Amino acid sequence: MCTGGGGLAVIEVRDVSMGYNQALVLHDICLKVKQGEQVFIVGRNGAGKTSLLKTLAGLLKPHSGTVTFDGHDITGMPAEKVARRGLHFVAQDKVVFSSLSVRNNIALAAHAMKIDIDSAIRKAVEIYPKLEEFMELNAGNLSGGQREILLIGRAMIGDPKLLLIDEPTEGLAAKVIDDIFRILTSIKGTTSTIIVEQNLSVVTSLADRIYVMKEGKIIKEFDNKHACIEAAELEVYL
Amino acid sequence: MFETILYGFTIGAVLYLFSIGLSLTFGTMHIINFAHALVYTLGVYSFIGFRDALSLGFVPAMLIAVVAMVPLAWAIERFVIRRLYGERLDYAIIATYALLLIGTDLIKVVFGTLPQSINVPIHVSVNVAGVGISLYRIIIVLVAVLIFLGLRQFFRKTVVGQIVVAALEDNEGVRCLGINISTYFSIVFVIGSALAIIGGILYAPISTAEPYMGMHILLLAFSVVIVGGMGSLTGTFYASFALGMLMALVGRFWAGGANAAVFLTMALVIIYRHTIKPRLHRR
Repeated sequence: MCTGGGGLAVIEVRDVSMGYNQALVLHDICLKVKQGEQVFIVGRNGAGKTSLLKTLAGLLKPHSGTVTFDGHDITGMPAEKVARRGLHFVAQDKVVFSSLSVRNNIALAAHAMKIDIDSAIRKAVEIYPKLEEFMELNAGNLSGGQREILLIGRAMIGDPKLLLIDEPTEGLAAKVIDDIFRILTSIKGTTSTIIVEQNLSVVTSLADRIYVMKEGKIIKEFDNKHACIEAAELEVYL
Repeated sequence: MFETILYGFTIGAVLYLFSIGLSLTFGTMHIINFAHALVYTLGVYSFIGFRDALSLGFVPAMLIAVVAMVPLAWAIERFVIRRLYGERLDYAIIATYALLLIGTDLIKVVFGTLPQSINVPIHVSVNVAGVGISLYRIIIVLVAVLIFLGLRQFFRKTVVGQIVVAALEDNEGVRCLGINISTYFSIVFVIGSALAIIGGILYAPISTAEPYMGMHILLLAFSVVIVGGMGSLTGTFYASFALGMLMALVGRFWAGGANAAVFLTMALVIIYRHTIKPRLHRR
């Protein structure tokens, strides 16, 4: 039984299982994200959170189940086609195109989305004004936090219908986490997001809904529309 | 000694022209492409074929041979290599090695097994410090340097080049932007093949054309790619010239040790990268 309540779903995942060779890492995953909703996924390392995001982004192929995005079946569709439909993914590893400038990182996203570079840059700067200072810098020279912000900014080019972000605050200093928190707050309500996150104060402050994963399954779902979930309630699952 | 150094540069130039395609294929597609040697050899034989059949000069025959081989390179990428994306490395090795063996046998059937000599197109020597050095060899080195500089601009300034550079670093990241990388990989593959053919044709007058010429350079090129860093455009350039020079210098005093010196260097680089460097980093 898929949960997520009523309302128009941007993405609906039904009974998705996925594995590497014979070993299943996702078991009958069901979830739903509504228009403008910010959904968080928490769970211990190895719970299958990253594999789930990669499966939705088209980087991994599910063994069974269906993924319906924006009313279309995208199950097993390659990542580039999924991205062009408006589902963008920010990976966990904070890997930018380090030998290209920040401008060219954004330019590639603009090229992919077939929009002009200037408006793409304006969009990225709108999300994080400080980005303008780094525009001509090689992206490889950015700090971990700046890289994450560039990745989120880059993923926002083309106004995605759904944004998947894997561990955006992992390994970052408190100051940078504040910046990322502000960015996530600014897109809340307008861009639907699924965010894998371990920082529970970020999760409980921002989440509309929270899924808990364990051993490749969703074991619990919390409604947090009114920010009523305490971090301590989630801590037991980590 | 001067001649030895020039010989080293010449070998380095040919190694670079051959290796760059191999390095890009591995860097972007993660495929070890043995069929690269087949394209190289076929390019030289088609050069001979066009030159003789159409009574063409060196440069026109070379250009026609390169253009004629583009569809073959594209077909190898489209129908063999592309099916191997994301598969295990050994599948790619088996498939492309099989292609190399089949192609080499076909060359033997069509052109015979005897080596064919090709005349050096320019018989001019340049006098440097009392030593006459072959202008043709200088041209080979200059062609390699110009291609390196041209490729550098291509990868820095063009969208296609930047996508390839980005894919070398983060293949999945490029795909997640909505870019179909296989189109760009085809372009890279064809460029790499064309450069290998140019290298083969330029080198043939100094050596000879024979069915196994691709196999001989292939192993040396793998050493270049490993020493220079897989997928590193600049690293491949410097490693080609460094190993070419090493071959020339060792070969001057011990002819049989030239290739061995290259493989020994490759082994030392692997040991350094995988054993010594991680230990130094841990300290």
